[in-house]
Amino acid sequence: MESDPRDDLAIIERAEAAPYVSYPATPRWMYPAFALWVGAYTAAYALLEVHALLFLAVVVGLLGAIILALRWMHRWHGALPLPGRGTPPAEITRVYRQYFAGIAVLVVAVVVLGLTAGIAVASVAGVLLSYPGLLAFDRAYHRAAAAVRERLA
Amino acid sequence: MIDGLDPTIHAPKRLAAMAVLDNSMSTSFRFLAEHLRISASDLSKHMSALEAAGYVTVRKDGRGRGATTTFSLTADGRRAYTAHRAALRALLDESPTDVSGGAGR
Repeated sequence: MESDPRDDLAIIERAEAAPYVSYPATPRWMYPAFALWVGAYTAAYALLEVHALLFLAVVVGLLGAIILALRWMHRWHGALPLPGRGTPPAEITRVYRQYFAGIAVLVVAVVVLGLTAGIAVASVAGVLLSYPGLLAFDRAYHRAAAAVRERLA
Repeated sequence: MIDGLDPTIHAPKRLAAMAVLDNSMSTSFRFLAEHLRISASDLSKHMSALEAAGYVTVRKDGRGRGATTTFSLTADGRRAYTAHRAALRALLDESPTDVSGGAGR
């Protein structure tokens, strides 16, 4: 127990940052897949008034797809961070905040369009908004991760 | 022993492993070995010690070349790590030397 606490805290800071800044490149198919998922999820609401059970089955299927995707991402990454847990670097926390703000904007836009212009329009808008949104998030995340790596090098 | 400092996780490699685990849903053996830059046998020894202390759980999936081993922190492990981290910070705060620009957040 005689090591310098500064050295130990430096070890901690680098190790805590590792799950956020050490990751394989995002597969290209993930952006359109995510956008199509948003579109499909929105479109599923068209079934709500026609066939409630079918709607429920589709929603459960889509949520199951997300769970499978998360399990795959977990294996692919090796140490997938869980937002809300742990101590992400400040640079990453900022990007997370932007991400959740973006999700909120997307949800509001899709719901408003669904109520005013119809589910088909909302579904298409969901695809068209989430695709560039995810790309922007990914780029912002890479920049933040690079800044963290540089700071801790 | 200083209050909160845990001898089980004080060793640098174990401390780093606990820090990684605290920030992920679970962590693969390969990720830990690469980040900690230690051999598989050394990592196995460290993780066995943490498992014996009740700080991590081990999960093995599959067999052969595709097999994966992942580790997760237990509630006790998270408590011990949080206390250890806080104790280190307290030690640093008590230190008379200027340590600005260190690992603080």
